[in-house]
Amino acid sequence: MNPLDPRLHQALDGDGPGGNLPPALERQRARLEQAAVLLATGRESPSVAARVMATVRHPLPARRARLLRWLFTPRAIVLRIRPAWSLALAAGILLVSLLPAPGPQLPLGAEEGIAQFVARFPGARSVSVVGSFNDWQPDQIPLEDRDKDGVWRGVVVLPAGTHEYMFVVDGERWVPDPLAGRYVEDDFGRQNSLLIVRAEKR
Amino acid sequence: MNGSELSDADIVARVLGGDQEAFGLVIKRYEPGLMRYAARMLGSWDAAADAVAEGLVRAFRHLASCRDPARLRTWLYRIVSNRCKSHLARRPTGDVSIDDVPPMADAADNEAALERAEQMAQVERALETLSAEKREAFLLKHVEGLSYEEMAAVTGERVPTLKMRVHRAREALLAALEEMEESEDP
Repeated sequence: MNPLDPRLHQALDGDGPGGNLPPALERQRARLEQAAVLLATGRESPSVAARVMATVRHPLPARRARLLRWLFTPRAIVLRIRPAWSLALAAGILLVSLLPAPGPQLPLGAEEGIAQFVARFPGARSVSVVGSFNDWQPDQIPLEDRDKDGVWRGVVVLPAGTHEYMFVVDGERWVPDPLAGRYVEDDFGRQNSLLIVRAEKR
Repeated sequence: MNGSELSDADIVARVLGGDQEAFGLVIKRYEPGLMRYAARMLGSWDAAADAVAEGLVRAFRHLASCRDPARLRTWLYRIVSNRCKSHLARRPTGDVSIDDVPPMADAADNEAALERAEQMAQVERALETLSAEKREAFLLKHVEGLSYEEMAAVTGERVPTLKMRVHRAREALLAALEEMEESEDP
């Protein structure tokens, strides 16, 4: 494969002084432009509009409703501790998580675990968690900052396994968990945080 | 709802405001280009339909994260492009579906249509010889008409990298076309 004359690239890119190309280069330009025109000619194919809109209108499955029901369950085992600003807070949460929970056990499935999300967003009006476990729906898992100290918390039951997630701040700013430790790039060029949930031992 | 007078930002605002039916305007506006691009990337209209449908559903669910609704088009191409890459990664090597075969003109067609069908088949075969990166670069630049800056937004690559990739793609496509023409000449 021989390199093409730089003048041909300039002409195709709209760079350079312009003007006529030598006949041999004009033929190459015409060949490439003709190929592009042919490739731009699509055949009639069925629209995916109905399929997409049917999915868009689809109601939430039952699993998501279950996640919502358990959202603010007070007894929880902490699997991850995130706020870097305070080691004391992290140690406190860990201590609480290690104490035996009073009262009846949570009705977890055999392949489910509990995740607690904690993140510090001072001044935020709202914070929610979106992820592969809730189809990235921003309004389903809101976190709470009851004492208005900028630390937002929420507890949720998740299927055991690896989940991608982000925080949504004030309904519009999507940010990864700065302390997740594990990340993966998504289709939109962002870094999603990774969360590993282990099935709760009985 | 016609919606042709609405800007992309207007439509996005409507959808985010709760009018999910307005997303139909996004589909109507961009589906043809996305389908064409995905079909050329995947060599299959059926696979393209899957990739575009998946991409549009993801776009709807993540619409709130579209930071610049005025650039909705490049955002959609980015999503569909990533769907195409996922499909290519899952596809076994050498897998060619039946609809990869280009539409053939039938006997009732005139000579010009037959010649056009042959040219189309040749260009499609030549495009298939390019790597996925070069194919993507040529299609975005010359078939979809994106600027290098828009291509950078779609692919996440830098503009100089993309310029070099487009240059290599042109050279590879031209070489493949010339090789085919030589092999077909008696």
